[in-house]
Amino acid sequence: MATNLLAIKGSRDGLRLVLDAAAPWDAVVQGLEAQLERGSAFFHGARITVELGERDIDDDELGQMLAVLRRHRIEAAGLASRSRSSRDTARSAGVAVRAMPRVPTGDRDDRSDAWLVRRTIRSGQVVRHHGNLTIVGDINAGSEVVASGSIIVWGRVRGVVHAGALGDSSCFIGALSLNPPRLGIGDVLSVARGDRSRSHPEVAQVVDGAIVFGAWETTRLR
Amino acid sequence: MSRVITITSGKGGVGKTTSTANLGTALAMQGAKVAVVDADIGLRNLDVVMGLENRIVYDLVDVVEGRCRLRQALIKDKHFSDLYLLPAAQTRDKDAVGPDDMIALANQLRTEFDYVIIDSPAGIEGGFRNAIAGADEVLIITTPEVSAVRDADRIIGLVEAAEKGSPQLIINRIKPRMVNRGDMMSTEDVLQILAIDLIGAIPDDETIVTSTNRGEVAVLDRTSRAGRAFSDVARRIAGEQVPMPTLEDEQGVFDRLFGMLARRPRGSER
Repeated sequence: MATNLLAIKGSRDGLRLVLDAAAPWDAVVQGLEAQLERGSAFFHGARITVELGERDIDDDELGQMLAVLRRHRIEAAGLASRSRSSRDTARSAGVAVRAMPRVPTGDRDDRSDAWLVRRTIRSGQVVRHHGNLTIVGDINAGSEVVASGSIIVWGRVRGVVHAGALGDSSCFIGALSLNPPRLGIGDVLSVARGDRSRSHPEVAQVVDGAIVFGAWETTRLR
Repeated sequence: MSRVITITSGKGGVGKTTSTANLGTALAMQGAKVAVVDADIGLRNLDVVMGLENRIVYDLVDVVEGRCRLRQALIKDKHFSDLYLLPAAQTRDKDAVGPDDMIALANQLRTEFDYVIIDSPAGIEGGFRNAIAGADEVLIITTPEVSAVRDADRIIGLVEAAEKGSPQLIINRIKPRMVNRGDMMSTEDVLQILAIDLIGAIPDDETIVTSTNRGEVAVLDRTSRAGRAFSDVARRIAGEQVPMPTLEDEQGVFDRLFGMLARRPRGSER
């Protein structure tokens, strides 16, 4: 199963993809391909550090992986490895490299791990988080907020929001006013709802394969 | 303690250069030593607005590249002996200088002036990054238009990311009648989106066009409403508590009443 071959970690300093160090490389690359395919909404435009652990890889293997990332328009921000030869390979391919600590530091890959962002998300900015996300501030037009979990905004939403972006359509989006030009939950997308500006608190969730908006007070979350 | 303040906007044509000239002049009128710097390399025009274009011998790029001393490139203002302009190069482009050059330049100017006001080019690329590199503070100029506010929002994000602190906002060219009719975003509408502190609201003033063309800045003209508003901004920059007059109040009561009755619902998109 692909999920055992890689894990997605971190958020604040960028995303990390942790690849299984023991499984055959072809299987790992396939797993990577599958994950990126499934989570394209989440990964699109992201900068990712890939962690290889103890694995030694050669030029071809590295090339294979970078090709997959490139195909999904992901920029490999760097590669972390405990293997010196893997680091040399990556360095000579022009990828930023760092050594990995012997002892893994407290990793945060649990979806229950929420992030509280206390600022206005401005035009041109992207906030991406693996987990649930709360934003205290507005999401302005021209910005983008993407989370693999649910998103709650204590403010006005006028930018693009995508919850459950790794494919989980049980997530929801709630905001004091919800007027995004485009909103996604899991694989379901919705575009702006006409001209009327909505200024009361609302929740969006997926019901029978479609995104449904409801008043905060009266909506029962599924 | 001298301060380096960059004036920027994202969008072009919202009044960066006019604001730089007016604020620089107003601060000099208050008795401060001021240098205004045109960082819009290749599209020089701060000198024209200040009526100093005929006096340019050296420019900012000459200083950065060591062809002259800073003193030689600084041009003294026509009215105030403590106000100087460092003009941009016209024959070069934005790549002629880098952020490090601008930081060094700002620090050099800092030793001689109370205020260094830098006029930024439009856009979010190298020229803008150069203009904010040496700044202690940033002032954002916008007009009450959706496009200008959108660009200001983008710029505020970049200024915050560059760790220049939260910039302050000047809203330029407000037309109170249009605001009252509901045809123009109000100061409050703009602040609601941008969520930063307001340091000035400048009314639309046709005399700015003529004064700009003559190379006479508006703050020198006591009858100019925009000039008075810029003077107020300069006093606020200097730390004075100057009440922010609501521009709408300058209209008659009947106008306002009529405006409220005639107010139309605004579009949802902004």
